[in-house]
Amino acid sequence: MTGATRVPAAAGAQAPFEALRGRLQQAAAAFADGPGALEGILRGIVDDVDRAVREPLEIFPVCHHSPASAIAMARRLREKQPKVVYLELCEDMAPLLPELRNCRLPVAVQAFASEVDGFPAEWAPLSVVAPITEASAEYQAIAYALETPGVELVLVDRSSDHVFQWQPGGRPAGPADADPDQPPAEEEAALHGDAVGIEVGDLRPRFAELEEYLLRHGRVRHWSEWWHQYVELPLGDSDHDTYRQVMLLIGSLFRRLAPGDADRVGVDEDRERYMWTRMREHLAATGTDPADCLYVCGAFHAASRVAEFGVHGSDTFTIGPRSASTWQYGLIPSSHAAIEAQFGLAPGSVSIAATQWAKNVKRSRVRPFRLAGQAGTKAPAKTAKSAKAAAAPAPAPAAPGAAPPDRLSGFLQRPPVLDALDEAELLGWSVDIVRAARRAGYLASTADAIAVFETSILLAGMRDRARPTPYDFQDAAITCIEKDAVPGRRDVRRLVEIMMGGDRIGQVGYDALPPLARDVHDRLAPLGLKLQQRGVQRALLDLASQPELKPCSDVLWMLRYLMPPGTARPIMGERRLGEQPIQESWDVALGTHQRALIELGYEGVSIEQVLEQRLRRAAYGPQATTATVLQAVEDATLYLRSRRLADELGTRALEVLATERTVDGAPEVLRRVRRLLAYYRTSEPVLPAWIESFVKTGYAHYCTLLPTAFTDEDATVRQVAAMLGFLFSMEGLALSLGCDRTQLELAVAQSHPDEPARVALLWSAQLHLGRLSRAELRARCGQLLGNPLVVPAYPRYLSGFLHALEPVPQLADFVVELVSNAFAVLPDPVLLPWLPTLIGTLRAGGAELAPLLIREAGRIFPGRLAALDTWVPPWLAEPAPALAAAPGAAGQQGAALLAAHPATCDALARLLGCDGGWAQAGPAAGGAVLAARHPATATALAALLDG
Amino acid sequence: MSDLLRAPAEIKYAEELDWLESVDDGPKPFTWRLSPKMVRLFVLGSERADGLEREIAPKWFGDRSFVERSIVTLASDRGLLLIGDPGTGKSWLAELLSAAICRNSTMVVQGTAGTTEDHIKYSWNVSQVIAAGQSRASMIPSPIMTAMEAGAIGRFEELTRATSDVQDALISILSEKYISVPELDGDDGENIVFAKPGFSVIATANSRDRGVNDLSSALKRRFNFVRIPVVTNKKSEAEIVRFRTEELLRRHSIDLDVPPTLLDVLLQSFADLRASAAAAGSDDEKLESALSTAEQIGVLEDAILHSTFFGERTLTAHTLAGSLVGSLARREPEDLAILNKYLHGVVEPRSKEHGGDWPEFLQGGRDAIATLS
Repeated sequence: MTGATRVPAAAGAQAPFEALRGRLQQAAAAFADGPGALEGILRGIVDDVDRAVREPLEIFPVCHHSPASAIAMARRLREKQPKVVYLELCEDMAPLLPELRNCRLPVAVQAFASEVDGFPAEWAPLSVVAPITEASAEYQAIAYALETPGVELVLVDRSSDHVFQWQPGGRPAGPADADPDQPPAEEEAALHGDAVGIEVGDLRPRFAELEEYLLRHGRVRHWSEWWHQYVELPLGDSDHDTYRQVMLLIGSLFRRLAPGDADRVGVDEDRERYMWTRMREHLAATGTDPADCLYVCGAFHAASRVAEFGVHGSDTFTIGPRSASTWQYGLIPSSHAAIEAQFGLAPGSVSIAATQWAKNVKRSRVRPFRLAGQAGTKAPAKTAKSAKAAAAPAPAPAAPGAAPPDRLSGFLQRPPVLDALDEAELLGWSVDIVRAARRAGYLASTADAIAVFETSILLAGMRDRARPTPYDFQDAAITCIEKDAVPGRRDVRRLVEIMMGGDRIGQVGYDALPPLARDVHDRLAPLGLKLQQRGVQRALLDLASQPELKPCSDVLWMLRYLMPPGTARPIMGERRLGEQPIQESWDVALGTHQRALIELGYEGVSIEQVLEQRLRRAAYGPQATTATVLQAVEDATLYLRSRRLADELGTRALEVLATERTVDGAPEVLRRVRRLLAYYRTSEPVLPAWIESFVKTGYAHYCTLLPTAFTDEDATVRQVAAMLGFLFSMEGLALSLGCDRTQLELAVAQSHPDEPARVALLWSAQLHLGRLSRAELRARCGQLLGNPLVVPAYPRYLSGFLHALEPVPQLADFVVELVSNAFAVLPDPVLLPWLPTLIGTLRAGGAELAPLLIREAGRIFPGRLAALDTWVPPWLAEPAPALAAAPGAAGQQGAALLAAHPATCDALARLLGCDGGWAQAGPAAGGAVLAARHPATATALAALLDG
Repeated sequence: MSDLLRAPAEIKYAEELDWLESVDDGPKPFTWRLSPKMVRLFVLGSERADGLEREIAPKWFGDRSFVERSIVTLASDRGLLLIGDPGTGKSWLAELLSAAICRNSTMVVQGTAGTTEDHIKYSWNVSQVIAAGQSRASMIPSPIMTAMEAGAIGRFEELTRATSDVQDALISILSEKYISVPELDGDDGENIVFAKPGFSVIATANSRDRGVNDLSSALKRRFNFVRIPVVTNKKSEAEIVRFRTEELLRRHSIDLDVPPTLLDVLLQSFADLRASAAAAGSDDEKLESALSTAEQIGVLEDAILHSTFFGERTLTAHTLAGSLVGSLARREPEDLAILNKYLHGVVEPRSKEHGGDWPEFLQGGRDAIATLS
């Protein structure tokens, strides 16, 4: 506490708090053995209250989620009718507030920056949320200002950008750390994501020991309960002066007893300077009389001691510029559970506050303000009347400068207000909880209701209160109903929370949604679903009979790509290149994921635009590989049907491929490029230029890398096989585009692998290129089996051949032969350990190869058991004498065709300048020879025709 | 008092209880010796704000609401069942509550596989029955029946260890609050033993034994369950260990200093082992021990006794590590493997980084494992 900022106590009649000051001084002397620090604190508190009360611009201290604050606010607004309301909320959020009327509360005002400039990149995306509930003072202020003509609402707190700027220690934390003993948060609690929460009127001891002390002596478990018991209830029906002075007192107390954390205090003081500077600027600009204004801020800030405080405070604070980050604004749904999780409040406290608010409104008969058209709230009984009342002239304000009387002394001297036992209410609760517990699977009975009732009263008695609080009741219910195991999904604690008001989940109305979200809703309208509703809904799209639903299907596929899992989940139907969907069935949960959709809206105005941005980002990002870029090409074709984007991304894939030095992505590249090629071949008249270049570049690229990959230990056999697959399967296209086969032959010739699997792969490549005959290959494999020193490595050769099926599928029968030989010849100590590896390899890498092998094996092996005895494997059978096809016969057959269609030859001959004529063909004998050798068919046919 | 190896709470804290009773002006249910608030104060200790002339030391460490819920249950119509892992202080809390409420915590039935209905209700002094016939004089009342007659708290330890039919004998005691003795003549009302006001039952059950003899739902209904969790808060755990160790040293009349740094080593090592048990996938990957606070006290006790009688009369990290391994290694090789992994994976880097007692602790652990394996 500094003397410089202390306001000197006024004397005489102008000092209403003098008596209190004197009494506190005596108390300090009595408790602390003489005046000293304690006296300083106690007197300082009174000074703070005095100073705030005297401020010409009325300060209205509030606490977040406090029904007492909300009631006092409504009452004060009706009484004072201020022309300007200053509110402690980020000033850049102001344009969104009128949209609140389109929402069902609680919702949160969100500021969001996905691309940051001026902050560390790892902070992105920046997100700030300010949740607004109906039972809050700020909602009353907002509703009053927006609904009353001629009233201006000015948000004065620092902008969302400053929230991050003023964090010296790094990115501010997101939701409060959960207690490890607490059960994991439910889905509703995660509605705010990892946004930084701000709230009007954060009021909680900053001094852990103080909070602990208050809780211990209040005989309560957590802060929300203490507040409810010691502030909320006593202040529920108090008059304006008492309310204001008590709140100022609490704010000042917590402020003065908050040691340490200079950074946090510094930020708070800067905020106060900011707010007062903004208010003075506004007053000066508009010429408003401070007496017509109301400043709504947290009680903590109301007890400020900065030099800038007050209408007449110093103008020494300069507001720094915002960073260059682009901020987007929107409303997102919130929930009581999300607010509790965000601000570390006790579970159920916001719900209890909402219930308390409803009760207070009923009891105090205060007419709360409410935005016209607000969804999900009960309209005040007589809106017209309240409007009239609102428009009625304000009662004459107290003479300016006249200090309000001291209400604090009376309040502090009064014994704690003990609420009388409301037996009917408690009975109702007891019966309801037993009913709820029974529904949740507990074996609860009327006897339990009696026990809960009795235990609640006993517990409240032990904690020095006549009336059990909802928290006492919760303890009692747990004691009497909870047994050793929770039978269902919810335990008794949660059931009580639900019963006490339950979680309420807000909803952002259609009109308050960003353009993208509205567009999505419009485009999905033909499905006839209630998309705003939470929960999963099933959409059936019969695209064959209702082709007009095709755009909906497109939107759903894009949502599936862009939104969190579960937003749009296809149950039936898939989207693949070149396929046309006939029927689709979807599980859509757009209402549940409204926040994600709204945040998507910050990225662009339509989902196509966002998707394009995302694909581009994926393709041009530093981590992009050829495979990921090709995937982006595929996605662009699938979801956007955009040839332009696909071509652009394809060209990018080409660039990435040219710079790649590893073959890690080879299998994926092969798979994708094959798919794209197949698609373009069937759907386009000519191949896109990029894919031609890609094949050409890829051919040269993989040829260059092949010798290294064969010996590189980091490259797996599968990757090398995929390279060969690319080279062999794209060969035709590549050669037609001007590649040279010699390059491939040289690359294979330069490869000298040592590892058995790769050697096998190389042999297969050589076989494919015609440098090795099948007989030679068989001989080599035979030698391997014959050499006892090499036999243990035989399975590894086999693995290589298995992988070789990808580039050289015609080897399938040979692989079957090798596997059969292995089973026949390999000794058990080699064979048995290898079998699991074989199965594993086939499962993991050979999902497409296994059917090939099985088909081949089915062809080779006998189909029946009986045939097995006489079966001789084809590779052991004597090679059948090849039909000695007379060279003349073949020539004659070709000649016959040529003779029948001579036009082409004649044209070619003319073109080449040949003058030769046509030779006469001899009698064709091939067919007759075959018929003579197998006459049965012909005889049968003849008999049939004769008959 | 000094000739008892372990005095029950009502004897040990007799003077404190007397004083509390003398200053207690709160309403007392039934025949309770103290009001509920004073019972809470006795168990959890006093603070300045309670305005008492003398300080009452806390005797049980844990959440205040558990104690409040337990006391309130005893003041109601239902029995109290304290349930939790072994070593969480259930029995100690039960003893303290009984001592504070009726000054007698010894009316205990121990639940075992051999517990019969006689142990809960009554049995007969056979020779007296032969000599004088069946009468109230020849009847041997069980501790529960004694508690009923006295309007006091009866205790039932390890309720789930007793077989289900024996457990169910409690149902009528808890609901009708009387035991009928059909062997006796009903004319003079001797055949029924009614419970006096103030009677209630505190039972304890290990949540780990739940599967042994599950409670019937009829019995569950008659009990309020208060689940006592394992203490994971380091601060309160340190307090418990210190409190119990001091008591132990006093009991054994041992004059030995427990250096606070060693206490930290013990707490930290238990916290580490708990974390690894929580992360373990199967039972083989975690220690058989529940790693409760009581186990910690056991380890410390073992180390203290070892250093007093076989060591150099000072507690060292070496001895502590030996006791830790000795107490926790119950299964071979699983537990030993886990402890070995712990020593090498956690303690070794820490001893290099922080030094202090850790290198010696590491060495002691290694030596102990080498001896055991």
